Amino acid sequence: MENRLLEIKDLHVSYGSVCALWGVSLHVPEGSIVALVGANGAGKSTLLKTIAGMNRPKNGSILFSGKHITGLTPEAVVNAGIAMVPEGRKLFARLTVKENLELGGYIPRARPFIQKSLEQAYELFPLLKTKSNQIAGSMSGGEQQMLAIARSMMSRPTILMLDEPSLGLSPLVVKMMFELVEELNRKGMTILLVEQNIYQALKISHYAYVIKTGKIVLEGKGEQLLSDPEVQNAYLGTME
Amino acid sequence: MFDYLTFGLLAQLFINGILFGTMYGLAAIGLSLIFGTMRIIFLSQGAVIILMAYCCYWLFTLFKIDPYLSIPIIGLAAMVLGAGIYQGLFRRAVKMEDKNITLLIAVGLMFLIENLMAVMWTPNPRSISTGYTSSSIPVGGLAISFTRLMGFVMAMLSTAGVTLFLKRTLVGKAVRAASEDIEAARLVGISPHWVNTIAFAIGIGLCGIAGIALSTTYPFDPYFGFIFSLKAMIALALGGLGSVFGALLGGIILGTLESWSSFFISGGWADAVSYGVFLLVLLFKPEGLLVRSVKKV
Repeated sequence: MENRLLEIKDLHVSYGSVCALWGVSLHVPEGSIVALVGANGAGKSTLLKTIAGMNRPKNGSILFSGKHITGLTPEAVVNAGIAMVPEGRKLFARLTVKENLELGGYIPRARPFIQKSLEQAYELFPLLKTKSNQIAGSMSGGEQQMLAIARSMMSRPTILMLDEPSLGLSPLVVKMMFELVEELNRKGMTILLVEQNIYQALKISHYAYVIKTGKIVLEGKGEQLLSDPEVQNAYLGTME
Repeated sequence: MFDYLTFGLLAQLFINGILFGTMYGLAAIGLSLIFGTMRIIFLSQGAVIILMAYCCYWLFTLFKIDPYLSIPIIGLAAMVLGAGIYQGLFRRAVKMEDKNITLLIAVGLMFLIENLMAVMWTPNPRSISTGYTSSSIPVGGLAISFTRLMGFVMAMLSTAGVTLFLKRTLVGKAVRAASEDIEAARLVGISPHWVNTIAFAIGIGLCGIAGIALSTTYPFDPYFGFIFSLKAMIALALGGLGSVFGALLGGIILGTLESWSSFFISGGWADAVSYGVFLLVLLFKPEGLLVRSVKKV
């Protein structure tokens, strides 16, 4: 059996009396790209936030490398090795690019390696090096998304969760972003990708889940789902 | 002759205003840090400054410790007190949606400190009188009070220290990041309690410095603190949230304004002028006079 790096079992999450996730189960094998796709409000972001420790699940469990991380604080989750690039990037807009990156390596596990991680980040994103003293908020959307990914890599994670990395970017930049995700994966990073850009997400992912109103309704290999008539009708109708 | 007098007078008023304004500025920096990371309006700031002034007074009268020698003692004690105030009073409340709770705690703490001081030291005004209290340094025909100049130097040095801490150290950067976006800060692993404790320690530490500066320059009584908090808030509105030097500069502008208006109009009008300016700033440039607006990502 494949190595399940992240495993979610029967997760229930609610905001007050509104139920957002109804018993979601999925797993992410080590070294793969797993996509979680679905329409607006289906519960994609809720799931990522719950894994990251921002929401407390009502029921169910989250296992990371076989250990329970359910109900940990966000700080503890990052330190355990799960980094999240939140929706809308959430950079520290008034801090410089370099300061944003340094804070990415704030957690105790990554702090001794900040200098080394910084060099690696600059190697991966040479553009960020030339802009290292620029205020993060003054960069373009694509550059900001790059910085957000680089910042989360500073924590030296074993799994990277990306929440809508293509949101608000021009088509060319979106293409670059997906290429980057693939490149990170080739370098050994396990990736959990949440996307509304379903076609692109399914194309690059090894395995994918389709979520609808808080429940997983379909799952399968990326290309398999792409050719699934149900998926094509419901989500890709306008794209092909 | 008359021209020289007017100029000399204006300059003297200006300098006095600056020197007094730095105390507002110190209080404003603390308020800005505490509000920045926790969205708490820490109204007890002024009362804590007076408490620190009394501590300085006590060290001086009971143990004959010179006010300037007590800087490390009071500064350190104030930082510990600040961390204690956060851990003891605000740690739980800061997580709640309702921000009125933290405001009520701050007001309650203010009354507690004020009345505690009134019981311990009586409500009579006190002041510290040392050999150098009335000495002044002549600069180009103007007399600059030594104690006020020292207060100014202390304020500048501690502001520079706080700025360096916030800009150069990783923990300082974490404090700035947390005041910008606490959720994003948690996602990179910054613990809010740690950052909040530091913000409180620095904020109250600065109260210690301001308290020493106050006790050596002016008479003070237990109930002077509330006005001080309000003035610090005006200074903050002038300087704009989120900038340490802006807060200090806001205090200096306010101090100068008060010293001029109390001379040219009358002492009673000084407060009216500063609140008037407060309203005008809130009406026309609510982000602060010295802040360039930065778009949020």
